[in-house]
Amino acid sequence: MENKTLVLIVEDENPICHFMSTALKANGYRVVSTGKGLEIPALVSSHCPDIVLLDLGLPDIDGIDALQALREWSDVPVVVVSARNGEREKVAALDHGADDYVTKPFGTAELLARIRTAIRHSKARQGTDASTGETVFTIGGLCVDTEKMIISVDGAEVHFTPIEYRLLELLARNRGRVLTHDLIMKKIWGPWFTDNQTLRVNMANIRRKLEKNPAEPRYIRTEIGVGYRMVEE
Amino acid sequence: MTLSDERPDPDALLESIESGQKKTGGKLKIFFGYAAGVGKTYAMLEEARERLDGGIDVVAGYIEPHARPDTAALARDIPSLPQKIIQYRNIQLFEFDIDAALLRKPALILVDELAHENAQGSRNGKRYQDVEELLQAGIDVWATMNVQHVESLNGVVRRITGITVRETVPDYIIDQADKVKLVDIDPEELLKRFAEGKVYGKDRVTVARRNFFTSGNLSSLREIAMRKAADRVSRDIEREKKPAPEKILVCIGPSPSSASCIRAAARMADAWHAPWIAVTVLQGDESDGVRENTALALRLGAKLVSLQGSDIAFAISEYAKLTGVTNLVIGKRKRHDAFRNLLRPEFADKLAFLLPDVEVHIIPDQLTGSRYRKRKFLQPAGRPDFRLSPRHAFISLAIIAFATLFSYALRAANIGDHNIIMVYILGVLVISRYTEGYLYGAVSSVLAVLSFNFFFTEPYFTFNAIDPRYPVTFFIMFLVSLITSAMTVRIKEQVVASVQRERRTEMLYDINRKLLAAYDIAGITQVIEDHLSAVFSTDAILYAADPANAQFARTDGKKNLCENEKSVVQWVFANGKAAGIGTGTLSLVPAFYMPVSGREGVIGVIGLSCEKGKRLSHENTVFLGTLASLAALAIERQSLSDRQHVMELESEKEKMRYDFLRGISHDLRTPLTAILGASSVLLENGEALDGDARYLFASDIKCDAQWLMRMVENILSVTKISDGSMRIAKKNEAVEEVVAEAVSLVKTHFSGIRLNVSIPADLLMIPMDGTLIEQVLINLIENAAKYAGVSPAIELRVTVDAHNAVFAVTDEGTGIPEEELPRIFDGPVSGDKKTGDGSRGLGIGLMICASIIKAHGGTISARNREGHGAEIRFTLPRGQGITDGKQDAGSDSRG
Repeated sequence: MENKTLVLIVEDENPICHFMSTALKANGYRVVSTGKGLEIPALVSSHCPDIVLLDLGLPDIDGIDALQALREWSDVPVVVVSARNGEREKVAALDHGADDYVTKPFGTAELLARIRTAIRHSKARQGTDASTGETVFTIGGLCVDTEKMIISVDGAEVHFTPIEYRLLELLARNRGRVLTHDLIMKKIWGPWFTDNQTLRVNMANIRRKLEKNPAEPRYIRTEIGVGYRMVEE
Repeated sequence: MTLSDERPDPDALLESIESGQKKTGGKLKIFFGYAAGVGKTYAMLEEARERLDGGIDVVAGYIEPHARPDTAALARDIPSLPQKIIQYRNIQLFEFDIDAALLRKPALILVDELAHENAQGSRNGKRYQDVEELLQAGIDVWATMNVQHVESLNGVVRRITGITVRETVPDYIIDQADKVKLVDIDPEELLKRFAEGKVYGKDRVTVARRNFFTSGNLSSLREIAMRKAADRVSRDIEREKKPAPEKILVCIGPSPSSASCIRAAARMADAWHAPWIAVTVLQGDESDGVRENTALALRLGAKLVSLQGSDIAFAISEYAKLTGVTNLVIGKRKRHDAFRNLLRPEFADKLAFLLPDVEVHIIPDQLTGSRYRKRKFLQPAGRPDFRLSPRHAFISLAIIAFATLFSYALRAANIGDHNIIMVYILGVLVISRYTEGYLYGAVSSVLAVLSFNFFFTEPYFTFNAIDPRYPVTFFIMFLVSLITSAMTVRIKEQVVASVQRERRTEMLYDINRKLLAAYDIAGITQVIEDHLSAVFSTDAILYAADPANAQFARTDGKKNLCENEKSVVQWVFANGKAAGIGTGTLSLVPAFYMPVSGREGVIGVIGLSCEKGKRLSHENTVFLGTLASLAALAIERQSLSDRQHVMELESEKEKMRYDFLRGISHDLRTPLTAILGASSVLLENGEALDGDARYLFASDIKCDAQWLMRMVENILSVTKISDGSMRIAKKNEAVEEVVAEAVSLVKTHFSGIRLNVSIPADLLMIPMDGTLIEQVLINLIENAAKYAGVSPAIELRVTVDAHNAVFAVTDEGTGIPEEELPRIFDGPVSGDKKTGDGSRGLGIGLMICASIIKAHGGTISARNREGHGAEIRFTLPRGQGITDGKQDAGSDSRG
């Protein structure tokens, strides 16, 4: 934590802003905060934060619009913080370039985990982290070796179909992040594929090969109505 | 049976109710003249131009192309609709375009020649029907017509001019017209115009037309036209007065001369402003002649009644007595055969005898009748079923032969003579009983006489008879057997007819019973369609809704009755009139459509397929009408109860909302009090506390806050379902994913929980709102955790059956108190006694579960397991389940 990651908090509710910045500072982050969505461009360009925590319900501008405007010129990772628990808003935020989301109310542990994941993935994208070119992903007992194209669970190799393998690799590369149904389908089957059912069936098959009890999964979590997320540890 | 003054009450009442219904359509003005060339069209156009100048939206719908230059010039000033061109056998016919007119919807439209008969293939057979449609659509119409086209005056005009006019307009059109303007011109002037070729153009003056335009003819026609117009004026004045207590009845037969009786009755009724009834007495099937005449009577405004019976006079007299008829109109033909007169008393005499208090008007047959008579002779009783059946012929011959043999036996036993005649007559009677129609009886009568002559009169085995008494014997024997056989046949027919009627009555009763049992519109439709198909042995269809919203592509495997059913049904619905075969509208469609009228206008349409262009008989139409009114009653009853049901549901929802708010405000107050207390202790006395105590307070706050959070999530779920009409957006979700999410969430809240989850081995996709079902599972598991005591061991099991996915949450705790079981899903209000926080939130949580499951079309129930613990299970339908929440899910908890 010595590099002192800078977090920009965009949140108009003072108690929440206060609690988030306290928690972040206690965990070794630097914090800049604002209550106005219109100030985002100025703050991002002047402070160059490592990550933005964006509340969707801002008084001056709709959070989704602010996100869209920001994405036109900046790749800074954005984690959306929202009181809305509608799946549609979450999907919309993700579609408009958010890296992840947390739903109010949330605990500090969850918030910190999301921030860590988002920063790690953004660094991987920019090639400034050692994880670039990572070929073997290990999550608990699961090991995805993208070089040998081998997947093993608790040391034993498990056979997957090509589609299933590609699904798992995609989730593993993005572990910790939520991937929307649409995004997964686009990556695996191409841009015109819209059959949700096929994705469900493949995920169910993967789950049966991966998990001891498909009803209590260890590796792949479902975000109902949004998508899938592979756990980090 | 004297006829008193208070006679025609029920019918009069009905009629006054019917006429009391205000029509909201457009107004009709008729320019009425006594012959072509009097200047009707000119007068109409002139007046229309004045209106046009006054800023009224006038459109000429159809103006006859006239040779008269002044009329044509006038017509050019008025905007006109393009005429429809109909191709008919290589001729182009120009017709009035009704659809264009309806689309254009002017304030006033001009339609020339009201009596015009449209070309085949047009929607309506007659132009006046087009006009009716325009009026119905709220468009004012001006039209022209001549006196000879008035239906009721048709016969009178023929008598005067000798010309039969085929294109007629029913009287009710003229009676219901808002204004009738008489366009008059001196006959001398008209003749002058005619001679100058101003009326028809010199080349188009035919002989017939020349014969028509005589001074005498024109004067007579003018008189009739004026009288008709004057009559209308006087009726307008008298309309307020009570109508005379007269009631006219006319008998309809198959003969064309019946038509003149009908017209006479119509004129009479018109003059007295009295109601009139046209009666047909059916003997077997309805002939074409009867059908034509009944149609005429209907057009002239009669009420139609058909009676059944072999004795026409008796049937009519009984009906007349029952309904309080004061005047009877019958036709009379001159009968040449005195022989028949001997057998049957004069019809008129018989009626006069049977109805001493009724005035009988006799209309002589104006036709020479020879044509008709011949036909009548060939087809006695109007029935064409004159095919020889070998079986019946054999029966007849066999019986005659047997009678002959038996007679031989009798004579051999020396008890013959008179008995032989009896045996033959008995034979004829038996033949009539076992064969169909009059033929076999009549022929057998002849055969019986002949064989009696041949075998049993001296000289034997010849047709000669020596004894001068024999001819008399033969004659009487023939008569007796003929009459006996005729009477037997008649009785048989009456039995058949009464059986048929009985069957219909029974059918009506049956339909009524089934309609009462039907509990939705689809059921009613089914009952009506099934019975119609059974009665008429053809396809039938019922649209029990506004066709604008109805589904026309049949989903139940039935075909539409015709290709453009949609437009026909919509027309019938909009106009409230029958269409299709046998009507004046869309008569080329191979089906018959009848409106189903309820209290507030048309509420449905009945369609009946008529194959091979067969028209419905009057009796069938009446029966169909009866069925239609039954259907109307049922549909109205249904829509009423539907509305009531919706209201009940609404008030139930209202109550639920109220209960929910009451429960929730209580439940929210408890944790808020704890949070407020703990935080204020921390703020005010923070320094005085040690680290452990501070930690305890902070974790208390967190615990209560988490509880509040879950509560808020529940409330959010409820807003999701109670928004709008309890409809939820269902998507196919994998059960295992939803279960896994719920389980992992519960585990983060209750770390000490022991949860055993089992799901089906195969992927199970169920239509649901994933987050709501997740909420249900969370609530149920938490609820179980509360009951299960210190070390909760909870099992969540998902299984499938043919229609449902079954979710069961069981615990091994103390179970649910028996007295609470029935109300466990009713919310917290019912349990007002217990306000301790041991069960806080429980009621709300389960109530929300119940309403979510209900909204999904599933069921939820709770029970105590044998021995220990409780089980709450719910089901979700696997297919596209219903979402209207009609099922009473809560009541399952009792079983």
